[in-house]
Amino acid sequence: MPELRKDPIIGRWVIIATERARRPDQFSGHIHDPEEAKACPFCEGKEAKTPSEIYAIRPRNPTRNGPGWDLRVVPSISPFLRVEGDLDRRGNGVYDVMNGVGAHEVVIETNQHIANMADLSEEQITRVLNCYSDRIADLEKDMRLKYVLVFKNYGKGSGGGAIRHTRSQLIATPVNPKRVKEELAGARQYYEYHERCVFCDLIKQELEQKERVILDFDGFVAVSPFAARFPFETWILPKKHGKRLIKIIIGISRLCHA
Amino acid sequence: MPELRRDPVVGRWVIVDTDHPNKPEDFEYEQNIVKGGLCPFCYGNEFMTPPEISCFRDPNTQANSPGWQVRVVANKFPALQIEGELDRRGLGIYDLSNGIGAHEVLIESPFHNKDIPELLPEEIESYLKMCCVRASDLKKDSRFKYIMVFRNYGSAAGASLEHPHTQLVALPMVPKNALEEIHGARDYFNYRERCIFCDIIRQEIGDKTRVILENKYFISFCPFVSRFPFEIMIMPKQHSGYFCHISAEEVVALAQILKETLAKLKKVFLNLSYNYIIHSAPINGEVDVEYYHWHLEIMPKLTQVAGFEWGTGFYLDPTSPELAAQYLKAV
Repeated sequence: MPELRKDPIIGRWVIIATERARRPDQFSGHIHDPEEAKACPFCEGKEAKTPSEIYAIRPRNPTRNGPGWDLRVVPSISPFLRVEGDLDRRGNGVYDVMNGVGAHEVVIETNQHIANMADLSEEQITRVLNCYSDRIADLEKDMRLKYVLVFKNYGKGSGGGAIRHTRSQLIATPVNPKRVKEELAGARQYYEYHERCVFCDLIKQELEQKERVILDFDGFVAVSPFAARFPFETWILPKKHGKRLIKIIIGISRLCHA
Repeated sequence: MPELRRDPVVGRWVIVDTDHPNKPEDFEYEQNIVKGGLCPFCYGNEFMTPPEISCFRDPNTQANSPGWQVRVVANKFPALQIEGELDRRGLGIYDLSNGIGAHEVLIESPFHNKDIPELLPEEIESYLKMCCVRASDLKKDSRFKYIMVFRNYGSAAGASLEHPHTQLVALPMVPKNALEEIHGARDYFNYRERCIFCDIIRQEIGDKTRVILENKYFISFCPFVSRFPFEIMIMPKQHSGYFCHISAEEVVALAQILKETLAKLKKVFLNLSYNYIIHSAPINGEVDVEYYHWHLEIMPKLTQVAGFEWGTGFYLDPTSPELAAQYLKAV
């Protein structure tokens, strides 16, 4: 019997096909091009192929846009939004419009041609996470921006592109994105009713029931959400209640590494 | 300068690339090539499907045999099951229920190789009439609160079989996407005392830049807030909440505009895969349809939705609807 399950945060129902479960080997992957490493603009030594860096961790060479770095952040070559200009909010009949002001950065997670973040050392992953935190804090200073989304597209089937050098992106938008507003509204509604945080309750229930917990240590937990939208969807949550991504301790990097 | 545009119905912002837009030749998409072969939806293979629920067929032909024009069967692998009552319960902080619903497959025509643009007007009219017949029938079941009519064409768009077909899923609750539109429409109606969709139609007809085709009863246009390149909206000019209340004249007009609009889309993008859905008002509930207006959304499968879209609910459109409409009008 298929099951209908409701996400307690945003109130969305999903259909879980409990009977026709697919095993991991029944999902098809993508074949990659073995030649792509030569064209990679993200490896050490290829700094001239990217736009000028915004931020870098350079223990071996302080020269900007030179080699000798462990981590590098550059503007996106084809940005969705632009840093320059005013919002210029205006109406167009029933529609509302504004200029696409914002930031779009690429975090190059390692100087070597490694495809998967899980293959980086814990130390390196910690550097990446702290970098996210630093970039968000920096972008926060721009009063035009309301939200920073950190995301990663890994693999050709997920918009990762042909170049297999592990990287993530940050996009800062001048409006609060819909999905975020939904989560906030849902969380607030739950709080007004229970006077407890829905995420804290979720973590507590998952740790008690155990069956959806993948990993649990050092203050973080990785779970398969009850109302998963996709097969193998996974959430990583800090056990300690906090609303912002702050300086990360080694814990989450061990979780990512695991 | 890229533009942020706000959908006045659901309040969603989309990012439209007005600087370096993608032209049709810039899109790399998986070509939909029809291969043929053994097909459970073709004439002679009626035994391969579950028994038919409804059918338009030649007189003197038997059920579950050839001689039909449009055929409806239960989906062999249904997402939801028709038997039983809703069994809503809690599990700590979670809510769940058994998966009650209906899941039907509507085989649009006997032709394995013909998409809607290749069908005759009468054949498309029969197909649309059958969608109405099934939606009206499912409406009578008081367990169902929403009927979703959707079509996946081409495997890149999620079609598991080549033979063109449409699906109807009846759900025991109103799904989130539909609910958002309904709430947005209701808020606008409370504010303006007019239907937002009627206002959009009026503005688009006046503006003209995004209109692709127009006939007596329908308009097809590229929405100002397109989520995807070459997204198309078909709307009835006459305000109506329910698709299944469509009149006989409107069926003829809808068949014409659907055929011509899809024909244009497929001329601009050869071997295209696409999806379309019908958003209609909820059923068996307390929704006042005075403020809701049914419509059909066409989504060509040209790009991927990835991390940014999943994370924010923002969409990125690399081709402005104004430019898309120009290309579609030109063919």
